Amino acid sequence: MSTTSKAENTGGWALAVLLGVLAAGAATRAVAAVTATTGPADGATLVKTYCGACHLPDRQGTLARIGDERKTPEGWVMTIFRMQNLHGLQLPATARDTIVRYLADTRGLAPSEAAPARFALERRPNVPDLALPGDLQRMCARCHSAARIALERRDAADWLKNANWHLAEFPTIEYQEGARDRHWWREASTKVPAELGRLFPLHTAAWAAWQRHAPIDLAGRWLVRGDEPGRGTYWGTAEIRRTAADEYRTTYRLRFADGQALDGQSHAIVYTGYEWRGTATLGDRSTHEVFAASPGGRRLSGRWFLDDHAEIGADWDAVRAGRAPRIVLVSPRAIRAGTSTRVTIVGEHLGGRVDLGAGLRARVVHRGRTSLVLQVDAAAHAAPGYRTVRVGGANAADAVAVYDRVDRLDVTPAYAIARLGGGKIDPVAAQFAVDAIEEIPGPASKPQAVHLGALPVAWSIGPFDAQAAHDRDVDFAGRIDSRGRFLPAGAGPNPKRPFHADNTGNLEVIATLPPGAAGRPTAVVGKAHLVVTVQRWNTPPIY
Amino acid sequence: MSGMKPVNTKAQLLTEAERSGHVEEVVTMESVAGCATTFDPGWEVDPFGGVASLCQPMEADLYGCSDPCWWPAQVPDTLNTYPNWDAGAPSAQNDWRELDAVFPKK
Repeated sequence: MSTTSKAENTGGWALAVLLGVLAAGAATRAVAAVTATTGPADGATLVKTYCGACHLPDRQGTLARIGDERKTPEGWVMTIFRMQNLHGLQLPATARDTIVRYLADTRGLAPSEAAPARFALERRPNVPDLALPGDLQRMCARCHSAARIALERRDAADWLKNANWHLAEFPTIEYQEGARDRHWWREASTKVPAELGRLFPLHTAAWAAWQRHAPIDLAGRWLVRGDEPGRGTYWGTAEIRRTAADEYRTTYRLRFADGQALDGQSHAIVYTGYEWRGTATLGDRSTHEVFAASPGGRRLSGRWFLDDHAEIGADWDAVRAGRAPRIVLVSPRAIRAGTSTRVTIVGEHLGGRVDLGAGLRARVVHRGRTSLVLQVDAAAHAAPGYRTVRVGGANAADAVAVYDRVDRLDVTPAYAIARLGGGKIDPVAAQFAVDAIEEIPGPASKPQAVHLGALPVAWSIGPFDAQAAHDRDVDFAGRIDSRGRFLPAGAGPNPKRPFHADNTGNLEVIATLPPGAAGRPTAVVGKAHLVVTVQRWNTPPIY
Repeated sequence: MSGMKPVNTKAQLLTEAERSGHVEEVVTMESVAGCATTFDPGWEVDPFGGVASLCQPMEADLYGCSDPCWWPAQVPDTLNTYPNWDAGAPSAQNDWRELDAVFPKK
């Protein structure tokens, strides 16, 4: 029994690395167990054992279908779940996780192949989907994302089997795809697989090259910078230790610009030689990490997000510490003319003279190993625009901007979806942020936008159109807090609304910079469009 | 679309896009990854870019979606893939709190 329990824990951890759902308390126990699991070499045996009963081998021993596809780790998790759900596959969690590692390592995507759709792996909210060419968008991306397709590789013959599977599994697809008005199946079974096979083929030069790529060891000391919408910029260091082949344990020393600590620990598996999937605790939050290592192993970038709310998270960018002077971040990125501001320069080997450019006078307050704290006086007449920051032998172009007024506020995302929650389904919030912009004369007398980043604004919501005003969506759909996070109302029919409608809403989100703060006597306002809609119950790691 | 006059912003955009051959881009930009782009009447967003023309309340017709797998990426289909998803919840309007996500968290 103890063996079974340990195996289940181990498997739970490894899958949690992909799904981001590990309870923080289980991490240490789980990592200790996972280091004792079978390595990738055993993956081939397990695939034969658990998959070979149905998937017959060809003359070379390659199993049908499995050998005809390449996917991300999340893609293989979804495939195995489908085998469990639809075909009665039963396997221990440890075997499942070893198989996923083996398949992602041997039948994964090269970095360049995954790059265009990484936003889907990173669970970035409110990203416009990829646009597939021609009829493929209508054929393949009306239900699920186009990104989901772009994260798989098959030849036309296997894409055809995928089309056959869709027709068998979801027979009303014919009606949904307009089969009454055209020869839908003829197109779905000929043009579509041929085009998908051309766009996303099994055999590519990129994958062949990546399979010859030397293994990357990510152990070492890293400089980290990132930004959490609604919370702000953070920075610090990561100490990454290798605990097994393609497994790492990391200690984070991070803090936000306001000084609040974001320290933590992470446990990660690297799939396909570069796909970092970690579970972490950051401050008091349990998080999931989806990063990609650069081919040279000197950069690790992506996004982390909350285990139970993937829509809440932050950009992550880490660079390996080195010996050369380097600036990786300046915070804040904008300084108002005529003010004195505390500025932090993050980097390494930051000795020597400090120069922030015309109109800015800097006094060193503190020199740390990876940061330089300055008090910066901006002259009242300092010309608005970007400045190059120089510290000794390091420099960073356009790393800081001077401004004297704000001309507009760009609210991001410009279009967002939030979902009602209740019962067993969590709500999905929508986090907004502003990018303040001053427009200055640029080359050829064209205005040049100087991006100042986030400034303190007041957030509010309003009806997006007359229909939303009539339906009083603002009163029912939810509220927005002082951080720019929209918190949806509860799900379910609401007897207080006509027809007992759900608490959906069509809203505009309004950011307001008060008079004076923008260098203007009047307020500056920016807006975004927010649709508050119903929940979803189909929640795979790739939508 | 000759003979039809656009009466709202989206229709105007579509008309302009049709002239320049970019209708597909207009449809794509109306959606974000993870949302259905079929708008009859739409799962997340209705044909007019809002929510007023969605089925309301959604629960009144939820099993009319799950039975014939009408929004299979959002609503588990009980026809083939998740036949027991609605077990123990005979009335979606009354029992929607009992309906759970189908993909395992661990």
